[in-house]
Amino acid sequence: MNPVVEVLNVTREAAWLPWAVQYFFLIGLSVGCFLLTLPGFALGRPAWLRLARLALIGALVCGFAAPVALLADLHQPGRFWRFYAHPNLHSWMAWGAFFIPGYVGGLCLYAWAALRPGLAAAPARVSLLGRAWRLAALPWLPRMPRLLPLAAAWTTGFAALVLLYTGMEVMVVRARPLWNTPFLPVQFAVTALAGAIGLVLVLDRLLPPRDRGMEVALNRLLALSLAATLAVGGAWLATGLLGLDAAHAAALASVAGSPEWRFAALWAGLAAAVPAALALWRPAGTGWLSGLIALHAAWMFRWTVFIGGQTVPKSGAGFYAYHLPLGHDGLLGILGTGGLCLFLLIALTALLPWEAAGPARAAAPAAAPVAPAAPGRA
Amino acid sequence: MSVSRRSFFSGLSASLGGMVGAAEAATPELRAPAGGPRWGMVVDTARCIGCQACTVSCIMENAVPEDSFRTIVSTYEVREGDRAAMVMLPRLCNHCEEPPCIPVCPVGATYQRADGIVVVNADACVGCAYCVQACPYDARFINHETQKADKCTFCAHRVDAGLLPGCVESCVGGARIFGDLNDPGSTVSRLLAQNESKVLKPEMETGPRVFYLGLDDAFLGKVEAEPTLWHPSHGQEAQS
Ligand code: SF4
Ligand code: SF4
Repeated sequence: MNPVVEVLNVTREAAWLPWAVQYFFLIGLSVGCFLLTLPGFALGRPAWLRLARLALIGALVCGFAAPVALLADLHQPGRFWRFYAHPNLHSWMAWGAFFIPGYVGGLCLYAWAALRPGLAAAPARVSLLGRAWRLAALPWLPRMPRLLPLAAAWTTGFAALVLLYTGMEVMVVRARPLWNTPFLPVQFAVTALAGAIGLVLVLDRLLPPRDRGMEVALNRLLALSLAATLAVGGAWLATGLLGLDAAHAAALASVAGSPEWRFAALWAGLAAAVPAALALWRPAGTGWLSGLIALHAAWMFRWTVFIGGQTVPKSGAGFYAYHLPLGHDGLLGILGTGGLCLFLLIALTALLPWEAAGPARAAAPAAAPVAPAAPGRA
Repeated sequence: MSVSRRSFFSGLSASLGGMVGAAEAATPELRAPAGGPRWGMVVDTARCIGCQACTVSCIMENAVPEDSFRTIVSTYEVREGDRAAMVMLPRLCNHCEEPPCIPVCPVGATYQRADGIVVVNADACVGCAYCVQACPYDARFINHETQKADKCTFCAHRVDAGLLPGCVESCVGGARIFGDLNDPGSTVSRLLAQNESKVLKPEMETGPRVFYLGLDDAFLGKVEAEPTLWHPSHGQEAQS
């Protein structure tokens, strides 16, 4: 029995709400998806075109939904303008306020450059949407073949900055030993990539025609990224277990005694190992399942870091209890972001000629059959 | 609180001299050396009886919402063989010399006054709670009514008016002693010069300006203890 009993103390609630989990999850997925578009769009690899098109949809859906979740996590969302009016540049969060629009703006430009040939090829007489597509292609502007690679370079830069700031923002919090580790930004990045691959695999199932070759290739990539996830997690664990670093050992010690945390660790390990095994064992036909589990793993990692991390008291004994509220600060917020993503997915796939997206040369043949069909679908 | 009662307590505590040392803030600007005051607190844990009068007076003085606390006296029971004793640990913002809550604030809403008091400009705070995460002492929280960061201010509004922080004024045992650390003649300075003092989590290198007398090392950081069954907390009444 512990000789010290805490008779009276205060509980501090989680101040970063599930909205933060949603934001870090979605922005990571968006960046991961964007990176997956690069071989097909920016490097012009025809074999990667379908993957790039699906990933573009994923990047846009998550890229639009993420800032909404971020704003909702502010307890005074109407004051977000202060990030721009009075930035404190010592704060990673302040930098993030500039990186996010840089990234999302770049992504929009990149998407437009990729979609433009398809938009321009729409037969104007077919429907109102067809006319809107042609207008959206801004036909009075020159062709600008270099726009796509330039937008790709800009967005890649900001995507890297987003990955950097989201990791650093959490890593610099010395007050939370679980967060204060250089492994964290790396783990955020690799789980974001694994989640993005998972999302594309799920989209491949949702948006036919399915591409077996792509599924197999993506599943291999998924297994690789999940192996990296397990390796980074293992390295963190080893650093703590072997006492290679006092801060890591303290972080591990703060949760090692808790059955809930041990269960979470086991679950996280399985959530990475199971889809990796599935992806290697049956790379064809199981993409939607391995993809869903990988998405779950990416989300759960962030949930554990943010919500779980905040249940560890900085001074008090034991753990603070966290009960997921049912309202907008809890379940409703999580479901709401899910609903927003679903809406965006339906809207974007219905309204954009995404199946014709790509560099001008690649898009031209695909645009002809796809363009007339899409307006009819809308 | 009426001026006359305040004066009475100031006079009383002044007459008690070094016992309580509460008089510094009564006329801070007169006592402060040319460089200006640097406010700090010494907590003499042996004098704290765990009555939570400070906790309550802080809530009343600062309109702290229900289930939130700017200060609280953490209370522990320590057993040694067949003997048991209580340990009282009044906690509050340490008004750190190197406060990690300030650089993280994305809009500069958290800042340190020239007299060392760390405050939040409520008009600027966006409620991002980054400072709440960065404080190693769990001294901050998001106020449910204002939706902004909230914390102990050493009762800056009272100090500016020449008064003591509410918790100091109400402390039954005289355990909380407030004063100017820049003034070598102040009671806080003298207590620190004459006694061995400790700060919480020294390894965080935050330079706390709340010092503890008579506190065992086991209580400086995250306390290894059997956790409380019930914590006061907003919206979690069901647990009780
Ligand atoms: S105790 Fe916490 S809130 Fe107070 S100054 Fe130090 S870091 Fe900031
Ligand atoms: S909650 Fe307010 S004071 Fe704290 S970091 Fe955010 S803006 Fe600054």
